[in-house]
Amino acid sequence: MSWTNHLPALVVAVPLFGAFGAPLVSLGGRVARNVWFLFFAAFSAFLSLLLWQHVVLSGTMVYVMGGSAWNIPLPSGMSLPVRILLEVDSFGALLALIGGICAFAGALFSLKFMEKFTGLDKYTALYLLLLSGMQGMVLTGDLFNLFVFIEIASVASFGLVVFWRDRPEAVEAGFKYMVVSTVGVMFILLAVAFLYGRYNVVNMAALGANLQYGLPEKVALIFLVVALAMKCGSVPMHMWTPDAYAEAPAAVTCLLVAVSQASLYALFRICFSVYGLSMGSSAVAWAIIVLGCLSMFVGVSMAVIQKEIKRLMAYHSVSQVGYILLGLGVGLLALGNPQEMNAYGMTAIKGGIYHLFNYAMYKPLLFLCAGALFYAAKSRNLNSLGGLARKMPYTTVLFLLAAAAIAGLPPFNGYVSKLLIYESSFAVHPILPVIAMVTSMLTLASFVKVFQTAFLGPEKEALSQVREVPQSMILGMGLLALVILGLSLFPSWSLDHLITPAAEALVDKASYVGAVLGGGF
Amino acid sequence: MCTTVMTGYGFWNVFSWLTFFVLITALILWFRSQGRSDYKEDSLQDEIFYGGNPVPSDGAEITVPASSAYWGFKKALHGFYTLLDSWHSGIATDYVAWFVFTVAIFALLLVF
Repeated sequence: MSWTNHLPALVVAVPLFGAFGAPLVSLGGRVARNVWFLFFAAFSAFLSLLLWQHVVLSGTMVYVMGGSAWNIPLPSGMSLPVRILLEVDSFGALLALIGGICAFAGALFSLKFMEKFTGLDKYTALYLLLLSGMQGMVLTGDLFNLFVFIEIASVASFGLVVFWRDRPEAVEAGFKYMVVSTVGVMFILLAVAFLYGRYNVVNMAALGANLQYGLPEKVALIFLVVALAMKCGSVPMHMWTPDAYAEAPAAVTCLLVAVSQASLYALFRICFSVYGLSMGSSAVAWAIIVLGCLSMFVGVSMAVIQKEIKRLMAYHSVSQVGYILLGLGVGLLALGNPQEMNAYGMTAIKGGIYHLFNYAMYKPLLFLCAGALFYAAKSRNLNSLGGLARKMPYTTVLFLLAAAAIAGLPPFNGYVSKLLIYESSFAVHPILPVIAMVTSMLTLASFVKVFQTAFLGPEKEALSQVREVPQSMILGMGLLALVILGLSLFPSWSLDHLITPAAEALVDKASYVGAVLGGGF
Repeated sequence: MCTTVMTGYGFWNVFSWLTFFVLITALILWFRSQGRSDYKEDSLQDEIFYGGNPVPSDGAEITVPASSAYWGFKKALHGFYTLLDSWHSGIATDYVAWFVFTVAIFALLLVF
């Protein structure tokens, strides 16, 4: 067996090992800790890239933890998928790649950004633990382990949100996030219990093969959809996002964005691969579309009036999640009808996944730019900032790039994914792209405000000592900018090689089920 | 071609757009170069007109703060923003209530 067959487990295990080793290595001093941190972040990103490449070339990977087969045949002939399974198709592999890139960019940025703070052994450990939990969320093949990995990611993120525990705001944000998240995750556990009670399995492929859409399945679906929508920051359960994103250190927010995308992944994996056509009616798809529209409009409306830069960006996160929900919701709506799927459904799903990838690159970059402003100017209040373009030219250019991308200005990547969502959602109802376009205009207005107030205008005396941030921070931001430029300049390549395989894997429930169960269950 | 995206209803080609952008930029720069010939850099013509008063040395005194940006927008949508503010109470139990409320709405839609 080639070592590449172990890639799914390695992508989860390597950052986990890094997390548990961090406190020990930190005893060796600052340099040892930084080398350890950067090595594990970079190695995890590299492994996720290898995993993505392997899956795209060789097809869906199924990895059985601690065994060679997923089942334990009983004397009665009964055969249940009882082992812990990781199932990685192109969609999951893409999300793992996104997580790897964000984590590496955040780690590079952290080196200098966090330098003056104490407790960095715990920071490093929690950061890598969060990465491990997030990778587990997108690679797992069963619902109970999805719950476990969500919990791992959640617990690590609670600790990271309150990392600056001398700030009462951070402690308050962490507490609120913990309360809401724990309630949501308990609903996920209840849903798993409902399904386990009915089918004696928690494996998603096995559930997908056997699911009959009755009352317990409906209740489980409601709990799963609402809890995962809350975890990704959808309106009206988004209130924890501005608190948590604003108070967490910038590099952590970068990773929290990727974790929210892992929740979106889980939401759509359950809708498409576990329930799929068995849902029968279009009620769930419409509910997701409505959540998407509400998230877009309410998120951007709140963002326009903010004066605290990270809070403003956090509300934009809510709004951007709305686009993804809209795109994938429209795709879910067309799932049962091949004609509609060909006409607009597949375009909507591609648009949604493309936007997910775009968002997971430009939003972390924006949060890192906000972190750079905080590092240099010691303030996140836009009223206190101004005229920084002359003093921070690299940060200015990187911010402009990310702001143009999120606002959907051509020729950037945000424009392409939004175009796909506009066109496909128009086929469902003309009001949907109208809401999306108004949101896009308000996004542009909001970032014009940030650019004008933070970077343009005359120099302020209070900011006369401000200098450009250190190179490692620029490198972290530059890595994300490079991916944004690649996605912008080669949209067709990105669609063909990154997005379309992921979209096809998401829609093809038979292939997802067949990869695990093969001959049947 | 690796730069053209077919959307189903149209297409997007990034290099066509960039070519158009460069051409328009060149045209604008040419128009700009045809401007007033009596302009002199670093002369009084560059001075900021501040209502006839001396320009304050600290930029903070002559900038519009972020909290004042889009003042008219906020004023026109005052009712909407009052409603949104009341939703965003900042109270943890309210956050949980919104979650339970959404579960209830979904249950109404899917179960009943």
